[in-house]
Amino acid sequence: MSEHRIKLKVNGEAESATVQGHTTLLRALRSMGHLDVKSSCEAGDCGACAVFLDGEPVNSCLMFAAQANGCEIITVRGIGTEESLHPIQRQIVEKGGVQCGFCTPGIVVSAKALLDKNPNPSRQEIRRELAGNLCRCTGYQKIFDAIEAAAEEIRQ
Amino acid sequence: MSERIKTRVVGARLPYVDGVEKVVGTTQFVGDFNLPGVLTGLALRSPHPHARILRVDTSRAESLTGVHTVLSRENGPAAKFGINHQDETAFCIDKVRYIGDEVAAVAAVDEATAREALELIRVEYELLPVVDDPLSAFGEGVSLVHENVPNNLASQFHVTRGEVDAAFGAADATFEDDFHTHLAHQAYIEPTGCVAEPHPDGRLTIWGCLQSAFIIRTFMIAPITGMDPDHIRVIQTKPGGAFGGKLDVKAALMAALLARAAGKPVNFLLSLDEDLTAMRPRMPVHISLQSAFRADGKLLGKRVNIVAENGAYSSLSPAIMSSIALRTDNLYRTPTVDIEAKLVYTNICPSGQMRGFGNVQATFAWESHLDNAAVGLGIDPVELRLNNYVETGDLTLHGWKIASCGVADAARYAAKAIGWTEKRQQGGKGRGVGLASTIHVSGNKGFAVELGPSDKEPSSAVIRLDSEGRAEIWSGESDLGQGSASVMAFIAAEVIGLPVEDFQVPPTDTGCMPFGFGAFASRITLIGGNAVKIASENTRELLLRAAADVLEAAPEELLIEGREISVKGFPARKTKVKEVIRAVGGAIEGSGTWYAGGEVLDSKKYGNPSTTYSFSTQAAEVEVDMETGIVTVLKVVAGHDPGRVINRLGSEGQVEGGAVQAMSYCLMENLSPEKGRIRADNFHDYLIATSLDVPPVEHEFFETIDPHGPYGAKGLAETAINPTAAAIGNAIFHATGARLRSLPFTPERVLAAIDEVRSGY
Repeated sequence: MSEHRIKLKVNGEAESATVQGHTTLLRALRSMGHLDVKSSCEAGDCGACAVFLDGEPVNSCLMFAAQANGCEIITVRGIGTEESLHPIQRQIVEKGGVQCGFCTPGIVVSAKALLDKNPNPSRQEIRRELAGNLCRCTGYQKIFDAIEAAAEEIRQ
Repeated sequence: MSERIKTRVVGARLPYVDGVEKVVGTTQFVGDFNLPGVLTGLALRSPHPHARILRVDTSRAESLTGVHTVLSRENGPAAKFGINHQDETAFCIDKVRYIGDEVAAVAAVDEATAREALELIRVEYELLPVVDDPLSAFGEGVSLVHENVPNNLASQFHVTRGEVDAAFGAADATFEDDFHTHLAHQAYIEPTGCVAEPHPDGRLTIWGCLQSAFIIRTFMIAPITGMDPDHIRVIQTKPGGAFGGKLDVKAALMAALLARAAGKPVNFLLSLDEDLTAMRPRMPVHISLQSAFRADGKLLGKRVNIVAENGAYSSLSPAIMSSIALRTDNLYRTPTVDIEAKLVYTNICPSGQMRGFGNVQATFAWESHLDNAAVGLGIDPVELRLNNYVETGDLTLHGWKIASCGVADAARYAAKAIGWTEKRQQGGKGRGVGLASTIHVSGNKGFAVELGPSDKEPSSAVIRLDSEGRAEIWSGESDLGQGSASVMAFIAAEVIGLPVEDFQVPPTDTGCMPFGFGAFASRITLIGGNAVKIASENTRELLLRAAADVLEAAPEELLIEGREISVKGFPARKTKVKEVIRAVGGAIEGSGTWYAGGEVLDSKKYGNPSTTYSFSTQAAEVEVDMETGIVTVLKVVAGHDPGRVINRLGSEGQVEGGAVQAMSYCLMENLSPEKGRIRADNFHDYLIATSLDVPPVEHEFFETIDPHGPYGAKGLAETAINPTAAAIGNAIFHATGARLRSLPFTPERVLAAIDEVRSGY
């Protein structure tokens, strides 16, 4: 099996790891301690493992860690922490867009990707952007409400 | 209606108490555990739906470097377990009974080694005929899933109340329908898993995404390991969704056995395909219904015939079938009924409980049938329901005591909000509205009987105030993401007088927390909530007594507000709550126990099984493409009687999430078993609703202030999912004239039903 030494910048910190050729970015990030990146389907269906890779949202289960060598990764904790919540995170809490919380890190990443390029999305644009993030608890309605409220908060 | 107590916190619309940790990703789910030296546990699962095991050879796997233990029938426990029937073993002994059945398990230093070890295990099978159709699983010469169970009948019963034949004889109109529901999964996003750690003194700790830590300990781990239950500590990790599927979790047993054998901690985490094929998804069932009515719409009697699919092992299926059989009779005044129910073993994963506990299936069948009856009688479906609903104070034919009931108000609301009167005039052109109602247990007395001679079912809570004035609530009942932690925090904050945000509700831990059976049967708000209320009253009393000494006043003269305690009428005579706690040594702990109401049913299933009952009525508007059969749900409106709303934001979330889950269940989801093989074993074949699929869900709560509930509250999350599929089916019927009797409503089925109508069947 081929081994690769990779270097990543994760949430602003330089990190390195030794991975197998077949190790996915998801598994590498989790083994490096980034447990805020969630693992479910490992097939690109659920979006729980979404992260930013050089500014673009990706399902980290769908690429090899070696392919991400030299890249900058932002996980949900890079978007905001307990002490400094991002408006998307704060609004998801306030509007009731979180129940079990397992899909939430991926939802936050997708929502941020949307608002980064479109600060004033319509409901339909929000629905379209989130179509790759499965949530089984909320029925999505309160997540839509939260993203609309966050967009407004960021615009002001 | 009981007296409505004025509240400060209860009924507010506030975020979950554990919302922030979840949006920043710090919540520790079971897959996030990383114990030092932990081994990876994996199961070798049966590739065949039904086969005799001729030989199991694990020797090559055992000698692989990095493998710590291999367990199978050769060295594993042979004892049987099961909550209702004890028909399941840790590892297959003589036969495999479904694709996914555990034949062996390994624990190794890492996943790659564990997988390699699985491949080195040799198993010889003799294939047996597959039992895959419960309707043809009886009779001479049929293959038996369990050799000691004739006709594959895991369970059966017959219940008759009143003179059913006379009722049908006297009827002005009778109706008949056959319904079928499919195998569908809870489809939580977090795959199931458990971690077990053995200790040098022989004790064992298990962590897992569990709905009930106490049930796993008592009904599964203790009987199989032979351990003293008190030596098994089960700690819940917050589940990433559960919906019934994480109640009876065999992964806990696998982790426990491997860890004990290896003498080291073991992770046993399912992959999604294992979870979708080898857990306990919602029970499929055939339901045949006949009903008898007077011309004015008065229901006179029902005949019910049920064939439910058990799968390979029983778990809770007998109780689920009972729920399917009896429940809807208690929603309408039903003078007579005759029920035949059979639970049939088949070679598929064990079927089980999903949110609704059989009531989704039962409600789909009965509420669709009632819609047909309304058409036959020439009576508006809403009127027909309003003429027959039970009311507060009723004793139903099965012995249920209806202590509070808001179903009629919910129905009037749902009809008005969907635009019933105007829209029912149209119909038949691809657009339609439909409606359905439900009753659900709230605080069902479920497991006491299984445990022994007492029929008492206690739930306890402890509340601990620390020297900073913050509070922790310890309860044996579990939060699954449905918001019960917040419900408990609201109740405690209301009683004690501290801010909601000062309360933490850690996950259940059998090692130190008080007893509770956990999250099922809509128990938590009612049973757990009452326990927390009593514990809070005790805590408040202790706090006031301590404050009385500090402020030199009588406890009844004191006021707790914000984080301070003052003497009423003398605002200057005050102190901080934390100072009072420090004055008595840094901690105040109150506790309380509440016993579930209801009775254990007699041998004829007569009696009042639950503390009380919740209700809802939902209406749906759909658009059906008459050329493709594709159904779009345009809107769902939901009228609910939760007794009293504790957390409005959480309550709304339960209703929205429940209705969407039901829509997903009836339009999209299907595990698609074929000859014992589940074909949809991933999220691109097992389709659940995405953000693009969901309709808006509107809601209204009708607070009936139940006499048994904390502040009058009852359960809510299951009434949110029960009626939606029937409401959508009824709306499709209104839109097209086509009655869908099999779930799910795929475009093919919808189109076929429309074609039948067009061709004049």
